[in-house]
Amino acid sequence: MTAGVVRVHQGAANRRSNLFDRFRETVSVRVLNWNEVHVDLRSKEDIPQLCLYVRDELKGKLATVICSDERRSTGGFVLRYVFGIGNGEDVFVIITARVLQEDSASPTSFPSLALVLPAATVYEREIKDMFGLIPEGNPDIRPLTLHEHWPEDVFPLRKEFELRTKVAKAQDRGYMFLKVEGEGVSEIPVGPVHAGIIEPGHFRFSILGENIVNLETRLFYTHRGVEKLAEGLGLDQVILLSERISGDEAVANSSAYCQAVEKVAGVVPPPRALQIRAVGAELERIYNHLGTLAGMSTDVGFAYGAARLNILKERMMRLNEEVAGSRLLFGVNRLGGVAVDLSPEKSRLVKETADSVLADFNRMVKLLRDDSSVMDRLRGTGVIGPDVAAEMGIVGVAARSSGLDIDTRRDHPYGAYRSITIAPHYDTPRHLVEREVEMATRRGDVLARFETRVEEVVNSVNMVGEVLFNLDGSTELLVPVPRENLKPFSHALGYAESHRGQTVHWVMVGEEPDTLFRYKVRTASFANWPAIETAVLNDIVADFPLVNKSLDLSYAGNDL
Amino acid sequence: MIGMKKESHHDILSDHVETDKHVLDGVKSAPGFRGDVVLAEADDRALDSEICRRVEEVCAPKAIASRHVEGKLQLTLDKGKCIMCGLCEEAAPTLFDVRNGFAQPVKRRLDLVVVGQPDEAPGELGESHEDLGKRLSGKIKKILGRSLAIREVDAGSCNGCEVEVAALNNAIYDIERFGVHFVASPRHADVLLVTGVGSRNMESALKRTYDATPDPKVVVAVGACAASGGIFGDTYASSGGVGDIVPVDVYVPGCPPRPEALLYGLLLAVDRIK
Repeated sequence: MTAGVVRVHQGAANRRSNLFDRFRETVSVRVLNWNEVHVDLRSKEDIPQLCLYVRDELKGKLATVICSDERRSTGGFVLRYVFGIGNGEDVFVIITARVLQEDSASPTSFPSLALVLPAATVYEREIKDMFGLIPEGNPDIRPLTLHEHWPEDVFPLRKEFELRTKVAKAQDRGYMFLKVEGEGVSEIPVGPVHAGIIEPGHFRFSILGENIVNLETRLFYTHRGVEKLAEGLGLDQVILLSERISGDEAVANSSAYCQAVEKVAGVVPPPRALQIRAVGAELERIYNHLGTLAGMSTDVGFAYGAARLNILKERMMRLNEEVAGSRLLFGVNRLGGVAVDLSPEKSRLVKETADSVLADFNRMVKLLRDDSSVMDRLRGTGVIGPDVAAEMGIVGVAARSSGLDIDTRRDHPYGAYRSITIAPHYDTPRHLVEREVEMATRRGDVLARFETRVEEVVNSVNMVGEVLFNLDGSTELLVPVPRENLKPFSHALGYAESHRGQTVHWVMVGEEPDTLFRYKVRTASFANWPAIETAVLNDIVADFPLVNKSLDLSYAGNDL
Repeated sequence: MIGMKKESHHDILSDHVETDKHVLDGVKSAPGFRGDVVLAEADDRALDSEICRRVEEVCAPKAIASRHVEGKLQLTLDKGKCIMCGLCEEAAPTLFDVRNGFAQPVKRRLDLVVVGQPDEAPGELGESHEDLGKRLSGKIKKILGRSLAIREVDAGSCNGCEVEVAALNNAIYDIERFGVHFVASPRHADVLLVTGVGSRNMESALKRTYDATPDPKVVVAVGACAASGGIFGDTYASSGGVGDIVPVDVYVPGCPPRPEALLYGLLLAVDRIK
């Protein structure tokens, strides 16, 4: 990376910072880490006004809401609303507000955005559980992360809470599912232990005949305390933890984490390392998309297609094993670079395997498309319309299938993606129009998600080929990340596009050397889970597994 | 993998191609695969408190510990905690070896703890999945008559173990041909294959699943998390291994254990059904 790139970024962010001039009385603006515009509010009451301004006028998309307990250093809790602004300008706007604890007797609150910015709802519920701050005006403040058997006065992410505290179980208060009443309406509870080999979660269907009238998801069964845990680990060890946020998106999550720390330290890994990260990320995308397509094939009852696609997935996983020493690509990333190299032999192996898998994949796709019993099940099932998708702030494959043209690799290019052609590549007016038409015709149903995944497998194989062809000749894979650059309480955003969508990691460096003060993770699954509740409405119960699989949501990545 | 390169022009839609080849070749793990970590042969002088401190520090799940025994430093390695990251070998190549076989599943938790002596773990994968599967199938026939029914329970894993358990069902491992099948309800199961840390939010669901499984039943704890909490340890949200919630009969170490290790674990599990 050259200094030039850094300058360009700084420029975009600086231009954006002028846009807050009209709020001069109530905010102060500074630019950090090349592309983060920090807007500090004097009063927490301005949160809705500023957030809506960023969403409506600047076309910002809510990327995450971060809360941190900075009572000791700044006297209060700090809320950071992160909005990503794509549109060709790679900028993140971060609205920061301090929430002071007036007195320890009454609960501390902050104004809720739930009614005007629905995507914020789950973040607010999470903050209420983990920090004990009350989102004033959020109609849904049921427990989220901490289930009903947790005492009401336990807030794990507050600093005074010890990681290893064993909290006694309180009396189960029961979860208030929305009750649908009327003649012929009945309920089906499913999970947390499911029939297949999948992760735990509870689904409460209200059905009329076979049709789903309402669905409520109850997740966080796999809550392992990732964010709290990170506060007690060394910076290198958090990489291992980030890989295990969701095992099948190890490269994406660890890349996002590494980028955040590298940003704080002001180091850029060598070009070859960034390219290897990108190869890892695309290999991850390929094997997971193959698995998801196989799962969709299973869920429409087409076992033949599933069996063959799973063979392709297994081939990719063996390739992962050859490349990274792990079938799930654990151990690729390090702070300041990567731990694995792609020798000419390995590069050739990657290229040949990916190409042969692609050839076979194309045969499989033709077979699936020619099969009306498959296509009929996919078409029109599990629709997420573009408006709903935008309101709920969904990301990744699901968003692109609903006609939202967003991709972190392109909107906020990171690492080697600054120089990789992110397919589909369109640079002529004709291509642009074609792409626009293409996006407008995507209906957000299971078929659209099927086609998007197919497209991405092809694109990823091509991108891997391109990166390997242009692989930087230097052998340098790691640059040191000097710990003295990491000033206490300095912070940065890291982000990546996993096969599920945008994953956003925020780190704030701790006071002790080599520690984190706060590690906030928002995976694509957290952003996309709420959408499933609307996607299945009016579908039949038997289509639920298919809709679920087509969205390919991670429970572990959501629950942390 | 090596064999595959030669015949990259085969067609996925034709019969037998992939599965037969792997059955005949057996599957070798890649040379760099991190399947097992062992204590290397090291003479006593190599072990000083400085290097011990360093390896203990580098190990995120705290699988490595050192202590003084009769005036000498001694290392212990808990494979039930090890997540096979290989950082210990990088920090102290004379003390640790990362092997490309898989860490052996065991019946007792204590057997995962290696004290002082280098253990005799095979460096290679050993038996192929085909041989393991045939042995498993023979054992199942002898002890159970026909087939073995497994219920998989995720009790708070990162889904890495799920990926590998699901791989047992793909056409290459194809575990059903050995008489093993995954069933939809614990009421139909002989074996509970439990992954994850035993998260607090899954505690009662796991207990109820166990209670719903008819006797005789066997619990296999899959992965470092299920054995000890792995990198997630023992915290407010994790019970530090599923052994605290249900009685465990077999431990399969690894992060995640590869499908061959799972097959080996099932071999031990069948032994437990008597």
